[in-house]
Amino acid sequence: MTRGTIQNRDAFLQNIAKRLGRSPRLSGVSQPQWDYAPQWTVFAGYSQDDLLSALREQCKLIHTDYIETTSSELAGALKQQVAAYGGGPVIVPDDPRFAEYGLSALLHDEWPAEQTAVHVWNSSLGRQNIDAAEQANVGIAFSEITLAESGTVVLFSRNEQGRTIHFLPKTYIAIVPKSSVVPRMTQAAAYIHEQIEKGAVVPSCINFITGPSNSADIEMNLVVGVHGPMKAAYIVVTDR
Amino acid sequence: MPMKIENGPFWKRVEENLQNDFMRGAVAGMQDRGYVRRLGVIEELGHWEEWRSLAEQIRKHTLENLDYYLMQLSENVAKRGGHVFFAQTAEEANDYIRRIALEKQAKKIVKSKSMVTEEINLNPVLEAIGCDVVETDLGEYILQIDDHDPPSHIVGPALHKNKEQIRDVFHRKLGYNKSSDPVELARHARETLRRDYLTADIGITGCNFAIAESGSITLVTNEGNADLVTSLPKTQITVMGMERIVPTFKEMEVLVSMLTRSAVGQKLTSYITVLTGPREQGDADGPEEFHLVIVDNGRSSILGTEFQPVLQCIRCAACVNVCPVYRHIGGHSYGSIYSGPIGAVLSPLLGGYDDYKELPYASSLCAACTEVCPVKIPLHELLIKHRQIIVEREGKAPVAEKLAMKAFRLGTASPSLYRFGTKLAPSAFAPFAEDGRITKGPGPLKAWTESRVFPAPNNERFRDWFRNRQKGGNPS
Amino acid sequence: MKVSLFVTCLIDLFYTNVGKATVELLERLGCEIDFPEAQTCCGQPAYNSGYIKDAKEAMKQMMRAFADADYVVTPSGSCAAMLKEYPRIFRGDPEWEEEAKRLAAKTYELTQFLVNVLRVEDVGASLPGRATYHTSCHMTRLLGEKEAPLRLLEHVKGLELVPLPNAHQCCGFGGTFSVKMGPISEQMVDEKIEHIEEVKADYLIGADCGCLMNIGGRIGRVGKPIRVMHIAEVLNHRN
Repeated sequence: MTRGTIQNRDAFLQNIAKRLGRSPRLSGVSQPQWDYAPQWTVFAGYSQDDLLSALREQCKLIHTDYIETTSSELAGALKQQVAAYGGGPVIVPDDPRFAEYGLSALLHDEWPAEQTAVHVWNSSLGRQNIDAAEQANVGIAFSEITLAESGTVVLFSRNEQGRTIHFLPKTYIAIVPKSSVVPRMTQAAAYIHEQIEKGAVVPSCINFITGPSNSADIEMNLVVGVHGPMKAAYIVVTDR
Repeated sequence: MPMKIENGPFWKRVEENLQNDFMRGAVAGMQDRGYVRRLGVIEELGHWEEWRSLAEQIRKHTLENLDYYLMQLSENVAKRGGHVFFAQTAEEANDYIRRIALEKQAKKIVKSKSMVTEEINLNPVLEAIGCDVVETDLGEYILQIDDHDPPSHIVGPALHKNKEQIRDVFHRKLGYNKSSDPVELARHARETLRRDYLTADIGITGCNFAIAESGSITLVTNEGNADLVTSLPKTQITVMGMERIVPTFKEMEVLVSMLTRSAVGQKLTSYITVLTGPREQGDADGPEEFHLVIVDNGRSSILGTEFQPVLQCIRCAACVNVCPVYRHIGGHSYGSIYSGPIGAVLSPLLGGYDDYKELPYASSLCAACTEVCPVKIPLHELLIKHRQIIVEREGKAPVAEKLAMKAFRLGTASPSLYRFGTKLAPSAFAPFAEDGRITKGPGPLKAWTESRVFPAPNNERFRDWFRNRQKGGNPS
Repeated sequence: MKVSLFVTCLIDLFYTNVGKATVELLERLGCEIDFPEAQTCCGQPAYNSGYIKDAKEAMKQMMRAFADADYVVTPSGSCAAMLKEYPRIFRGDPEWEEEAKRLAAKTYELTQFLVNVLRVEDVGASLPGRATYHTSCHMTRLLGEKEAPLRLLEHVKGLELVPLPNAHQCCGFGGTFSVKMGPISEQMVDEKIEHIEEVKADYLIGADCGCLMNIGGRIGRVGKPIRVMHIAEVLNHRN
């Protein structure tokens, strides 16, 4: 990747140092040991089942449909939820987990046979992917990390998984492996931080998505479904 | 829209807003529901005071090492192919953004909510070169199409408008013909704005928290508009106040947890998005070009002063949501896009005392703001500091007040003068008193007695009673 | 136990009865009352208006007046909170910093002193009627005392205590705020009175004469059948 430009930095930072009454500090700062770490106490010691119960409860507060299933039943559950949201068109990332979780037949045979259009994200098609996302009724993706406390799915963008899958379709379904559930954002942030420390490249877009889009800008009445999806469901796969 | 809202002198604004029953009802409702909600989520979270101390410590450390973290941030943005522009002034920031818009021959620009772009008054600069600039946050959108009505709250900008007014604006400006049902109104905005996202050349965002370790920016919304603004246009420009930065993902997480709870009583908002550079090679969406504009615009002159804690602010508006003064006068009375207690502290710092000398006095110093602030800004103490500067340095205090304080100093620093002065009080007040109370007072008392009665001083002061009693006089 | 009373300027001049009640109450509980005549004002009116230098002169006078006291007790949450601020205000002042710390450490608001030092909750008071309690801002937020007054009031015989809706909200006093920002202050006190009326209280009780002067002054002007009492008067009331 070509390095970007930086303009006016020196004078800007020198002025800050001057105001702070010291010489510029451009390297060698390390974070102190913070005096408190309350974020690690939330759901500390919870089992995976406890976390799942917390997630289930939280989904009630965030207007999100919560479904539990097993990998053998997943295809049926997904099909049912898509039908409940009004059917296709469907858009999905190009993610090997769809095959691993036994969803290939649904995606490539069953839905097309029922005239439910399925678009699999394909970056070589460029802008067509965005058009497909805009036309889609349902976007479906796998949650990488799931936050029990807030009912949040975490998604990383990549060539095979565009960002707009999560925003442009009218409705959204996240497939949540039980093993992906952690207490809260703390664990997800710590994981990403560790990856950075190890020299990994941060995805250009990380989304923490908590239910459907909403707004309370008109007389503080909650309207669910503003710019992003109007409905959302999490399908939890309890044996993965 | 610049930071200053041009709507007349302070008292004219206040008097107009005190007449606005809808606004006052809406604000009171927001405050009352918000109070309960916020208490609920922080109680559920637990250890709230530890969270506050942690957040404060993070913010203080970052400010004390701001040059270091901005250095790290800018290096990491550049490494990922993004461009960084440091702007000392609003003009420099606007010029840079205008140059990009011209270079891209941009016709349409979509924006997600950003206080700093309001502060630097960016939109007119872009409109002047022929760009169609569209605000996409629902509240901001409503205000924009209503001939740029100013925001009255830093999180819920259209709080002062009722749904009938919004319907009428939609009707006038968008040909909307449906009801005032908020769902119908929001759906209409959704459809209209979809076309804008898909055809925009540039997306402009603010920044809740930049992350130094990775060169990322974090955006916090409920509507998902920021995500469309940063997914669809080919160019993304993010504008951030220079203090809106954290060292790593771990501190971002702590502050986001506090922001969403303090602002709207949610554990997290619907969309929290962390963006790093432009799209990666081979991506089919996301911007091809990313620019980060880091704005000073008066902030550095706060560094190193007693007001430095105000830069800890994460713009949650918790202080606004508990302020009893804001409750009655609403956001527009402040004459600044930054209203409520944080506005009363920040506006004079960024905009000067000439325009904002009344704001530090628009507080009963009840300290509700200081109590709720998630990053422990001593807001009410900073208001007193402003008053001190207005008295000592600016010389803007009224003469009557100066005289009263002179008398206070004489009377309270010396016990004999105090005794003498308080002894005279009953006879000085006597002509105004009636049945032990004063209904029409002289001088500064007049303002009090316009709405309240004032007790007349007792003929016998407490200290006289006590002395007589010690001497074995009447026991009670 | 010897207690040095800081009576506050408002009580000295306007609310003598509150001062008397405080003395009688403390004496009944076995305290010996000392009233240092050199006391003036805690400095808050000047401090909060930004006249810090003038305020500091009053503060120094207070430190001198109470230099020999064991306990400084005051029937005002707001003035007690101000005294507790002295160490911050005189930080780095070689002459006064230690004195400020000493004064702050031995200062108690009246109800704090009763509950936390004397360890009494039932002072043997009685007052028949329905009452609500105004939790003043400086008492709860700056002094951090939320419990003591309620504990004491719960033990007053015949007194039915009902919670005040939106109790956390300021009554609109704020010292010079009530005069400088009169129209805003008036809206605040009116809302406070609405809530007091909502619970049909006979008595409004508070622990700060500033708030009570404001609420009582407005009640007096609009003519409501609500009696305003300082908590010292309630606790000293016996039938």
